[in-house]
Amino acid sequence: MDFSRYLERRWDDLLEQAAQHAAVVALSVLLATAIGVLVGVLTWRSARASGVAISVSAALLTIPSLALLALLIPLLGLGWAPTIVALVVYSLLPIIRNTVTGLRSVDLAVLESARGMGLTGRQTVWRVQLPLAWPIILTGVRVSTQMLFAIATIAAYVAGPGLGNEILSGLAGLGSANALNKAIAGTAGVVLLALAFDFAFVGLRRVTTPRGLRV
Amino acid sequence: MSDIKLVNVTKQYDGQPLPAVDGVTLDIAAGELVVFVGPSGCGKTTTMKMINRLIEPTSGRILLGGTDVMSIEPNELRRHIGYVIQQIGLFPHMTISENIQLVPGLLGWDKTRSRRRADELLELVGLDPVAYRDRYPRQLSGGQQQRVGVARALAADPPVMLMDEPFGATDPITRERLQNEFLRLQAELRKTIVFVTHDFDEAVKLGDRIAVLEERSRIAQYDTPERILATPADDYVASFAGSATAIKRLALIPAERLPGKPLNVANGLPTLDKGGSARDVLDLMIRWGTAQVAVDGGKAVDFETICGLLGDDHGR
Repeated sequence: MDFSRYLERRWDDLLEQAAQHAAVVALSVLLATAIGVLVGVLTWRSARASGVAISVSAALLTIPSLALLALLIPLLGLGWAPTIVALVVYSLLPIIRNTVTGLRSVDLAVLESARGMGLTGRQTVWRVQLPLAWPIILTGVRVSTQMLFAIATIAAYVAGPGLGNEILSGLAGLGSANALNKAIAGTAGVVLLALAFDFAFVGLRRVTTPRGLRV
Repeated sequence: MSDIKLVNVTKQYDGQPLPAVDGVTLDIAAGELVVFVGPSGCGKTTTMKMINRLIEPTSGRILLGGTDVMSIEPNELRRHIGYVIQQIGLFPHMTISENIQLVPGLLGWDKTRSRRRADELLELVGLDPVAYRDRYPRQLSGGQQQRVGVARALAADPPVMLMDEPFGATDPITRERLQNEFLRLQAELRKTIVFVTHDFDEAVKLGDRIAVLEERSRIAQYDTPERILATPADDYVASFAGSATAIKRLALIPAERLPGKPLNVANGLPTLDKGGSARDVLDLMIRWGTAQVAVDGGKAVDFETICGLLGDDHGR
């Protein structure tokens, strides 16, 4: 069967897997952003605390994804749960690091006037520093998202959702009729999704960056 | 109205052999503009920052309207003290109006009131509210940003203002304009102001009184600009005041107040514009080579009058 006929026949399945792939990445990145920004906000003030947070998230990133997923099975079973946990773990480093960098990069004069005007430390972080750091944080989120599209394919090993299933079954059945078609369709799907998300980030950045920083 | 009293205020940093500020005692009357002037690193900014507790004194007391600042929660204290710094520090992600409304917002003013207040203040500092309220700091020139900085500090109508070299980063022309506007503003508002600068001429121009500070913020002299120029307390103050102090003193005397002979018709005398000082009179005399200058249309001021202004110490 040639590739176009394969696509035609399996189009609905492929779309569903792609949608799941996008959903699991989006959900994981959202969770990781919430966690990563919070960790950044809590640790940026102390070089030591933020250093530990960054080192730990960097260390987590070195765990082979297959091993991490396998380790999560006894705790979380199969399917979405271990997939999301693993993806969140992998996306923390760029988000935490960029949050810390962003919060620290705010102009000292801005911080001094905030303090001199009577903003509390918390008000300064939420009302001044985070909005100003947002473009930097968003860059971290974008890097994480790109990374997750690739890593999410491994989730198929723990019966997770997404295009990984397509690739995996292609690789498992190498030599059989549709093996190559499967692998190619899955891989192309992942690449296209990643490109689409990356493109969306350009728009997201424009929409969410405070207007005063764009003028 | 709030007066400020510093009583034996000292700041000693850990690990430093000498205190940064050593036993400063100083009274600032309500509605008075006092300039702290001294060389870089003399502790003038540190002294100022202890008033709003950006820096905490090691010992001594600072009283604001009779209340010890250490008994007031720092953020609450700072919301009632205007604060202007050289680098301005406007919030780039907020509009001009939002920048000004921030402190009123923290104090719980309702939106309409703080919005109206922001417009009123923009007007006061010479920026058209309609044109500027919705702009962002990056769209304004340095001088305009500094005006917004002053407006923002005035937002909640604080009785006390602290200003740390607010005009130091602007070009000479803008600086002069900002200084003049600021004097006009202060004549109207009568805030109690502590103004820090290393520019003695700026101190003379703006201050009701000047505290000349030396190392460790020790007060070398605390007096009116006229008296510091006329009778500097010691060589340090004299060297700080620089040369041509007699001329600088003339600049403090408005030409309108000079005695003069009545003048009926313009008889070819050079004429001084309104708002000039005795120094401007002298300048005209030298430029035109005359011993008389017409002031305010109605009188002629003599060279002898100018020479007599400074009493008997002009040969110092």
